[in-house]
Amino acid sequence: METSKKLPTDPSESPPSPAGDGAADPERLVQGNLSFHDITEMVSRHAEKKAPLAWYVAFGVSLSGALLLIGLLAYVVWNGIGVWGNNQPVGWGWPIVNFVFWVGIGHAGTLISAILYLFRQHWRTAINRAAEAMTIFAVICALIWPTFHVGRVWAIYWTLPIPNQMAMWPQFKSPLLWDVFAVSSYFIVSTLFWYVGLVPDLATLRDRAKNFWRQRILAFFSLGWTGSNRHWRNYEKAYLLLAGLATPLVLSVHSVVSFDFAVSVIPGWHTTIFPPYFVAGAIFSGFAMVVTLMVITREIYGLKNLITIDHLEKMNIIILLTGSIVGFAYITEFFMAWYSGVEYEQYAFINRAFGPYAWAYWIMMTCNLITPQLFWSKRLRRSIPVMFALSIVVNIGMWFERFVITITSLHRDFLPSSWGYFTATWVDIGTFVGSFGLFFTLFLLFLRFVPMVAMAEVKGVMPEADPHHYDPEGNGHAEGDGEPYIAPAEPALAEAYRNDETDAPE
Amino acid sequence: MPDSINRSSLLKWLVDPVQSTSGVAKRAYRFVGDRRAWLVPMALGVALLAISLLGLWESPDDFFFAYLVGWSFLLTTALGGLFFLVFNHLTRAHWSVVVNRINEALVWAFPLLLLLGLPLLFGMHDLYHWTHAGLYDPGSPQYDEILAGKRAYLNTPFWLVRMGVYFAVWTFISYRLYTLSLRQDVRADPEIPAALRSTSAWGLPLLAVTTAFASYDILMSTDPHWFSTIFGVYFFSGGALGAVATITLVSLLLQRTGGLLQGVITPEHYHDLGKYLFGFVIFWAYIAFSQYMLYWYGGIPEETVWFQHRLQGGWAWHSAALVVFHFLIPFLMLLPQATKRAGTVMAVLSVWLLGMHWFDLHWVVLPVLRESGGFHWLDFTCWLGLTGIFAGGLMYRLSRHPLVPQGHPSLHDSLQFENMQ
Repeated sequence: METSKKLPTDPSESPPSPAGDGAADPERLVQGNLSFHDITEMVSRHAEKKAPLAWYVAFGVSLSGALLLIGLLAYVVWNGIGVWGNNQPVGWGWPIVNFVFWVGIGHAGTLISAILYLFRQHWRTAINRAAEAMTIFAVICALIWPTFHVGRVWAIYWTLPIPNQMAMWPQFKSPLLWDVFAVSSYFIVSTLFWYVGLVPDLATLRDRAKNFWRQRILAFFSLGWTGSNRHWRNYEKAYLLLAGLATPLVLSVHSVVSFDFAVSVIPGWHTTIFPPYFVAGAIFSGFAMVVTLMVITREIYGLKNLITIDHLEKMNIIILLTGSIVGFAYITEFFMAWYSGVEYEQYAFINRAFGPYAWAYWIMMTCNLITPQLFWSKRLRRSIPVMFALSIVVNIGMWFERFVITITSLHRDFLPSSWGYFTATWVDIGTFVGSFGLFFTLFLLFLRFVPMVAMAEVKGVMPEADPHHYDPEGNGHAEGDGEPYIAPAEPALAEAYRNDETDAPE
Repeated sequence: MPDSINRSSLLKWLVDPVQSTSGVAKRAYRFVGDRRAWLVPMALGVALLAISLLGLWESPDDFFFAYLVGWSFLLTTALGGLFFLVFNHLTRAHWSVVVNRINEALVWAFPLLLLLGLPLLFGMHDLYHWTHAGLYDPGSPQYDEILAGKRAYLNTPFWLVRMGVYFAVWTFISYRLYTLSLRQDVRADPEIPAALRSTSAWGLPLLAVTTAFASYDILMSTDPHWFSTIFGVYFFSGGALGAVATITLVSLLLQRTGGLLQGVITPEHYHDLGKYLFGFVIFWAYIAFSQYMLYWYGGIPEETVWFQHRLQGGWAWHSAALVVFHFLIPFLMLLPQATKRAGTVMAVLSVWLLGMHWFDLHWVVLPVLRESGGFHWLDFTCWLGLTGIFAGGLMYRLSRHPLVPQGHPSLHDSLQFENMQ
């Protein structure tokens, strides 16, 4: 579909405001004086018109990666998981590292959509749709690893407690089974939450559809949405309830993943800080992935007025915060290993930092603790090239964190005769690269077919959506009408507060 | 009308570092009440502590342990308040502005707490097993190889230095946040909100590190063999809960018994405070469960022994009571929307949760001293005595300044804040 109007893609090319109140109000989440219809147009058209050439190129590359993954997984099934580098003493190699890596990335979306919703962070609306989609795809990528790591993938349904004639049940005492429940319930609730949020936007696409079948299909998925008052009321209630239900899941998934390690008595794994520290690490890597993807998406699809530098800056602050929490947890673990007086714990940590995998440990420390500190500078956390580079560095660091945890604690068993050095095989590398192919294939399909920004929600946080927006002053209630009249704040002070740029911690 | 704030004299500085600014308070935010508001709790506190001193003479062990629990109760609550204040500044929270002053009055607590903590120094030998010199002498029958390995950290001079550093950091951060906000009442300098945020930003990491290590030094090292990496988070989670409960309770006291701040703090604000109470009740349970479950599952003796002490000889009742009364009942009470908006329910719950926070710390500390559970009368007199003095200080600060940060640029938004449109 061709658009008749050229929409501003960047705050710098905004038309002058009709009210003449200046184009760039830093308080506004949506820049560029866009109207409600402009937002519909700006987002919907990408799901309606033919994809640009760049999309096809990216899709081709990603799809080849996904095919590589499928081919290599077939190879793994055919030959057995020995073609991965897993062996004695490192029985958990890259597959588990990759599982934790991907499931960690899959934390940002539901955190943005549920927890930030409960905290009334309106800026979430511009990024929650894409972040949630990314979450779902990351969880899909995560689930591949344990599924194939069991070796006999055709028996994977044995992990589910299904009554059977063999009277055989999974081991309920194993955290690996808790993982099955934790990750699958997270996947189901995240998908449901994403879909509920999509309904009003799918209805918008349906109403814009020019083609019979397109309209029918979208009508099916938009569940008869008409945008009536009652629909909105039910929708808001459902959204709040789902947000409440999804919030504990955001914390539980990675807590349960951390139990996989922490319930064992292996030095370096068995430590009580693991659940909250894994959750912080997951949010850290998830936000980094959202920043990586959003920086590209807003550029290519001209969404800079919706996903502004302010949005990215807020995510970078969360990256700084969670990175520091993770870094402090590393230091706490190290201190407590010494303080415990347990020689095995002490050795495990000395070995991590100075043993044969010291290189991985210091990559982890640098990428997760040190480089994110650059975000203390307001200039750096608002710079697109810096944040793009750092967001990738963070995910490199977080992959190495899982590598360090998994490999270094296993490679030197209690007896020196069972010491070894883990080396990845070409199949390890190929499947890991392939999982990125799958991830980007799914994400590109999302960008092509689904409104990538939650249009209805973005409109809802614009000042124009406030019923009192056009009132001259105060909260719209006249003095003496029974409602409390509240005079507007001192204008000069409020203005100064809004415009201050000096909140960068120096 | 003064356009700046003046420093108090030295002794008063401990309780309130600046002179009264109530002269500039707008009528709706002025504390109108007499000095009984702070004098009564303080006098009660002093009386209870005086009674406790009789106990010191009778049974020093019981006194010092009870005193440590009561003192930690106040320390964690003040630290929780400091975290909550920093968090609200950093996120530019609007809803909380009307209760910020109560929180600010809570966090200017560290000089007084340092003073109140001095008696503990006379009980170091009772409280902290690691202060015994024989443990480190290989020739002694009490020689302890494990503790000898920790000596570089667990020794009295270094412990005292660390305490000094912690209190310096906490006092400095709370001084900045408290006085900047008071200065804003007098003259709304547009630089102040940014200064509050920047203090909060650099303060947060310092606060996190000092709080974690303080938890090891003050509480975890009462059982010097035991260790847990999550202990600092546990210490924080209870304190944050205590702080939100204190803010809620003080707001309700000012409104219900003082008749102040009518229409300023509304059910909308209690609703949000209730959500935070709910959140911290769950967070505490999550952290406590993580600590317990991982050690129970691993079953390594040097780790499980701490819980073993707390699951036998009557302490099992305390442990069970924590699950039910610190988590389950508050969780169910705070789940519905109506209870969070009902002042009376919130008042009862705040008192309840503060009691449970003390009960939790009692459960952490006392099994070190006593084989069997239950309470000693000193546990209550020390706790309530210290709390009386602390509460008197809090009310004294509130009585001398406007009850809300009246110059805060977001006060307008906070006043008309609503949860549901």
